[in-house]
Amino acid sequence: MLNKHMARLGTVLLAALAVALLLLAPTAPAAHREASATTIRIWTDQDRKAAVDRVTSAWGSSKGVSVEVVVKPFDKIRDDLKTVQAGQAPDVIVAAHDWTGQLAADGLVLPLVPKASVLKQVPKYARDAFSYGTGAAHLYGMPVTLENVGLFVNTRLAKVPKTWAQLEKAALAFKRKSANNLAIAVQQGAGGDAYHMYPFFSGLCGYVFGKTKGGSLNPSNIGLSSKKFLKNASLIDKWNREGLITSKVDSSTAQNAFLKGQAAFWITGPWNIDTVRKAGIKFQIIQVPKIKCRAAPFLGVNGFMVTKFAGTHGIESAAKDLVVSYMAGANAQQDLAAANGRYPANLTAGKRITDTALRQIGRASTGGVPMPNIPQMGSVWDELGGAWVKSTKGAGATPARSAFATAASNIRKKIGSG
Amino acid sequence: MSTDAVPRQPTARVSAATAVGSLPTRLISTFSGPVGLAVKIGFLSIVNAVAIWSLTVLASHDKWIPLMLLAAATVAIDWVYFMRRAVPLKFLVPGTIFLIGFQVIPVIYTVEVAFTNYSTGHILTKNEAVKGIQRAALTQPPNGRTYTMAPARAADGKLVLVLLDDKGGRTYVGSDDGLKTIPRSAVRTNAHGQIVSAEGYRLLKGAELFGIDRQITALTIPTSGIRAIRAEGLDTAIELEPSLRYDTKRDVFVRVDDGTVFRDNGRGSFVAAGGQELEPGWRTGVGLRNFGRMIHNPLVRKPFVRVFVWTFAFAFLVVLLSFSLGLFLAITLDKKGMRLQRMYRSLLVIPYAVPGFLSLLVWQGLLNDDFGVVNRGILHGNIPWLFDANWAKVSVILVSVWLTFPYFFLVSLGALQSIPGELTEAAKVDGAGAWQMFRKVTLPLLLIAVAPLMIASFAFNFNNFNNIYLLTGGGPATDQPIAGSTDILISYTWKLAFAAGKGADYGLASAVAIVIFFIVATISTIGFARTRVLENVT
Repeated sequence: MLNKHMARLGTVLLAALAVALLLLAPTAPAAHREASATTIRIWTDQDRKAAVDRVTSAWGSSKGVSVEVVVKPFDKIRDDLKTVQAGQAPDVIVAAHDWTGQLAADGLVLPLVPKASVLKQVPKYARDAFSYGTGAAHLYGMPVTLENVGLFVNTRLAKVPKTWAQLEKAALAFKRKSANNLAIAVQQGAGGDAYHMYPFFSGLCGYVFGKTKGGSLNPSNIGLSSKKFLKNASLIDKWNREGLITSKVDSSTAQNAFLKGQAAFWITGPWNIDTVRKAGIKFQIIQVPKIKCRAAPFLGVNGFMVTKFAGTHGIESAAKDLVVSYMAGANAQQDLAAANGRYPANLTAGKRITDTALRQIGRASTGGVPMPNIPQMGSVWDELGGAWVKSTKGAGATPARSAFATAASNIRKKIGSG
Repeated sequence: MSTDAVPRQPTARVSAATAVGSLPTRLISTFSGPVGLAVKIGFLSIVNAVAIWSLTVLASHDKWIPLMLLAAATVAIDWVYFMRRAVPLKFLVPGTIFLIGFQVIPVIYTVEVAFTNYSTGHILTKNEAVKGIQRAALTQPPNGRTYTMAPARAADGKLVLVLLDDKGGRTYVGSDDGLKTIPRSAVRTNAHGQIVSAEGYRLLKGAELFGIDRQITALTIPTSGIRAIRAEGLDTAIELEPSLRYDTKRDVFVRVDDGTVFRDNGRGSFVAAGGQELEPGWRTGVGLRNFGRMIHNPLVRKPFVRVFVWTFAFAFLVVLLSFSLGLFLAITLDKKGMRLQRMYRSLLVIPYAVPGFLSLLVWQGLLNDDFGVVNRGILHGNIPWLFDANWAKVSVILVSVWLTFPYFFLVSLGALQSIPGELTEAAKVDGAGAWQMFRKVTLPLLLIAVAPLMIASFAFNFNNFNNIYLLTGGGPATDQPIAGSTDILISYTWKLAFAAGKGADYGLASAVAIVIFFIVATISTIGFARTRVLENVT
């Protein structure tokens, strides 16, 4: 009896719920669509959320646009952009410059055409980092922060070297003092780390991709087997014999060694400045001194891109205004760079940096090479890192000349397979 | 498939069996009353609410077939749970929903992707790709003009751009008819150089401006030849010219300066006779091409056999060693009246309780050749655990055994207790030794319960991406591209699809995944057939 009663009641309840939802539902998507016309959605990572919020809402209130900031893990921003439904898609993303080739080839981001007055606010190499095109290159992002590795020198343990010979001598002398000491702490590990090793690679006149006449990167010109580099590669064998660098050192070994005073020299980036300060170490950051060529580091540039969804949402002009006109400016960049502990791309904002270590790391970027932003770079990382691992693993190491030549031929095969 | 599906111990099964009469009946009686009904209505309301919301979303996207399927499914679910007769269905429905959601749909999706060119540069639809190419073809001509701009409406309501030439400072009003010069004095600018008013025109601001974004971005103001001025943002306009022309009728792109024709190559790209390709391309079906690449591309084919043999050896050895070690420990700790038995058992489960990725990273540190605890602290040796091809294989197997043996320990411990004491007693009476007893009585009985789990564990380890990727990353590198010494099929597939060619290649990855699926399915089927034989023996 009771059950029957309850069942009827339940049916009524369900029906009521359904009707209520039916009444509500059609208004919900419509309201959403309307709102999207004057709302800009930005995808950012957690670290930058607060700064992006602050900077973009200042812009938004001056233009009458509301800004919705959505947090994603940094690499997810790139990956999710490929699969996201237009309704949830962002109009603007925080991006790393080396995504440029992939996202542009996918057609997911819009080319930007700033005026000369905007362009001259950021250095050319930072703009080049965001430029891509198989024919004429276009700018796909506005550079905001720069990062690169430098040589951290513990000034209590060693003098800041002026030449490569001084560095080599001081590092080896320090290593000889104790069995636990490292000469130059630079992370590799079994998997390799082409990024941290790049100053040594460029110092021996190596490069990853050559350039076409038009100035864009040429994936069929592989610099791992360039004559000049292979000629210099015998130095790597010498470093391996001396124990100047060894691939057995991974990221935690390198960090521990420097923090415990078991290494006077450490190749790392701005993300470790706070760690070193907290350990109470007196240090100075310089660029690795010239070896055979300038030992320039890889540059990572972060910035903002406008997605194709801005067009779909009917907010393209505003999105471009935010990314091109506003984000290029000194004030916006200063705030964003400070929030992230990075060096700003904007030249004026760069001059305003007062943090000594950050200024030093900025100076260590001189002549730096943006990580290649073409999709073919995916074929390079493992091979380049692997060649270093093989040629610097101590006893039983492969001669560098053959390790790098093999890597170059593997890269050619991998790129050809696409 | 996963090893974390620890089966209920047979001992528990026995006690549960005696309670069959009580517990479920009690549950049923509780849930037949008003409480149960309320819970049921609550759950169904949630299900219906989600369904109705989804229906409206589907309707707003004009997806009518999924909409009808969803509506039918929802009605069916309501019917099942309000009908007194459909008892078996009440139990089947949730399982079926999860099966469809987590197994069938991903499989269908994988198969579908395997027959497409879905990869970097082939994400969009063809229409979107054509638009993308047209956009990317717009370039700034040499000495092209740039303007400070403000969108405005003329007296007759027509949308125009008020323009101030950055060079020379002349002022214009631009519309789709072209440029019209207006006197500089008619346009006022502020300290930032932005246009704040124009005589005879009403500047657009705020909501009104954003409301017509599509018209503003579509507006082209012809200047000379194929050049035109376009808005770029809210206060800038740039003179651009297209380097490519899309011929709608022939469905080809033609390069303006030399007349090169780019044709649809049937695989999602516009390609010139010389091989040059326009970006972006689009996603399209390519038939069996991805499977063909596995056979024809030496990069895929050459390492395949080597990697396959190692994958098989890896999975087999991990299961065999883990089972042996787990069983050995289970027998050792099965003694009645042993002191601290519980503590030992708990300790042995620790590797299983710590999250796998954490253990793997810790092991990576422990095994470091020069600085790791294993070489420095324990062995005082110099074994290249991660840097030598063979030692790396040993490391991968050892660490995987470390992660897997507690599972077999638990399983064996349970299975041992379910073996009836009379059998071992009888064997003892017949004069069997300990080893004979183990070989002839314990092991066969144990295998009935454990063998299917060993096959599942084999299939799991066959695709154990995490262990390989986090410990060695597939390395150390061999001289062959892509496949390192410890790469198993799945990690090799990952590298093939995401670290070669031009970025990500989901189509190829799905095709290889399907092949791996058939390999694992074949091995498992043979394995299960053999366990059935095992059961017959007893």
